Amino acid sequence: MTEGINKPVIDRIIRVDHAGEYGANRIYAGQMAVLGRSAVGPVIQQMWNQEKNHLKKFNELMVAYRVRPTVLLPFWNVAGFVLGAGSALLGKKGAMACTVAVEESISEHYNNQIRTLIEEDPEKYKELLQVIKQFRDEEQEHHDIGLEHDAEAVSRILGWGSWRSRK
Amino acid sequence: MIVTVLSNPNHSRAVNCSLQRQHSQLPAGPARSGSQRPGNAPAARDAPAAQGCGPTAVVRCQQYPPLRALQASAALRGASDEHKKEPWASSSQQHFDSPPAGHQPEQKPQGPHPSYTGQGGQESEDYESEEQLQHRILTAALEFVPEHGWTAEAIAEGAKTLGLSVAAAGLFHSDGSELILHFVSECNTKLSELLKKEQKLVQLGEAEKKPIDEFLRDAVEARLRMLIPYIEKWPQALSVLLLPRNIPSSLNLLTSMIDDIWHYAGDQSTDFNWYTRRAVLTAIYNTTELVMMQDSSPGFEDTWRFLENRVADAMTMSNTATQVQSTGEAVVQGLMGAAVTIKNLAGLNQRR
Repeated sequence: MTEGINKPVIDRIIRVDHAGEYGANRIYAGQMAVLGRSAVGPVIQQMWNQEKNHLKKFNELMVAYRVRPTVLLPFWNVAGFVLGAGSALLGKKGAMACTVAVEESISEHYNNQIRTLIEEDPEKYKELLQVIKQFRDEEQEHHDIGLEHDAEAVSRILGWGSWRSRK
Repeated sequence: MIVTVLSNPNHSRAVNCSLQRQHSQLPAGPARSGSQRPGNAPAARDAPAAQGCGPTAVVRCQQYPPLRALQASAALRGASDEHKKEPWASSSQQHFDSPPAGHQPEQKPQGPHPSYTGQGGQESEDYESEEQLQHRILTAALEFVPEHGWTAEAIAEGAKTLGLSVAAAGLFHSDGSELILHFVSECNTKLSELLKKEQKLVQLGEAEKKPIDEFLRDAVEARLRMLIPYIEKWPQALSVLLLPRNIPSSLNLLTSMIDDIWHYAGDQSTDFNWYTRRAVLTAIYNTTELVMMQDSSPGFEDTWRFLENRVADAMTMSNTATQVQSTGEAVVQGLMGAAVTIKNLAGLNQRR
């Protein structure tokens, strides 16, 4: 699996994605610590479980491609939890807004990686592309769930969006 | 880093494809990247000689005082062949012409050889790239290291055994950096192959899987034993490897070797353990290497005992760390249980 691939590019992709999923895990953990017993708890729990799956997959890829993990893992450990707990302390809206923002940037990030890999060689990286595409779709789902539960933000975004389109 | 291309745009020189005179012409197939199709020598003299040699090629143009390389390469060839070089607009990998008549006409390149940075050159059958030539010279030079040390003398002697002029040593730095890095890279490759073979035996069930401490011990010992023939001059080599110029390369070689050992030991960590394990093993390796320099016991048994103790220490530390963590968790759970009990007793948990 590791022959003939562009090692530096793949290394970086897997390392960054692993760090991202690890951070996302910690964010949801922080949110659950505060809002776990509230009405929105099960929703967060379900999103968290999907992130756990993502992290597991990247752990496997990391071993398969012999990629080193990022040095900043302990930092993401703390920072993620603090961000999640902090946003959850602002209430359900805060937690959902945080989710929306994070998932949006993660989706964009995955899209960039998909573009990079397709530019390199879509055939060679078929499996990796599949994984990233699937994860990107699931992150997009989380983003939409966050929007659903954050109706105020939705109406604001829609308003801004229609103002932009009028321009 | 050796210069093979003298970029002198004022001269309209073309690549000498005199190699052709001694080898059969290569089939004019699509040029592989990094290889060069020989053009006809006369054709090569024309300006559009780019067509005579492969359209695709990889450039490795290294800037060096042209005079030195000129002398070196002229001395190397020693023949009266007119050697022309053409500055390539795009990249092209230059090949060394075959050595003078005294050398065997057989120029069988031994396939892509890793240079000390681990990059192999892709060559077509009859060509020997500059990298491969350097590789051969350095390998031959190793034999003379115990006598001459890691110096240009050893390289010169090595070049002599290959039938090349002693001026070939001019291709390399005078402090023997390339020779040492080449040696380290070769040792690491040998270690990798050894570990891979062992792994295969275990996979086939023909050997028992070693416990981690024994595996690490054996791997480090195997690697250090490769230094034994050169042990007298190794301290000199170590100091050269620490020159600022060489540190990136030597660090790279060291880290990839340690990573290799852990990989074959079965390390699959994806958290910060990845770093702690490699740091610990690097420390073990470096200290054992230093002890080995000072060791005068028969068969280096003091060194191996030192190694055993260090590895045991590392295992103990990691076990202790795990124990501390689980003890800590148990204590926390106990405290939580006590708190809940007290709340129950005090009636604070009752629902009203």
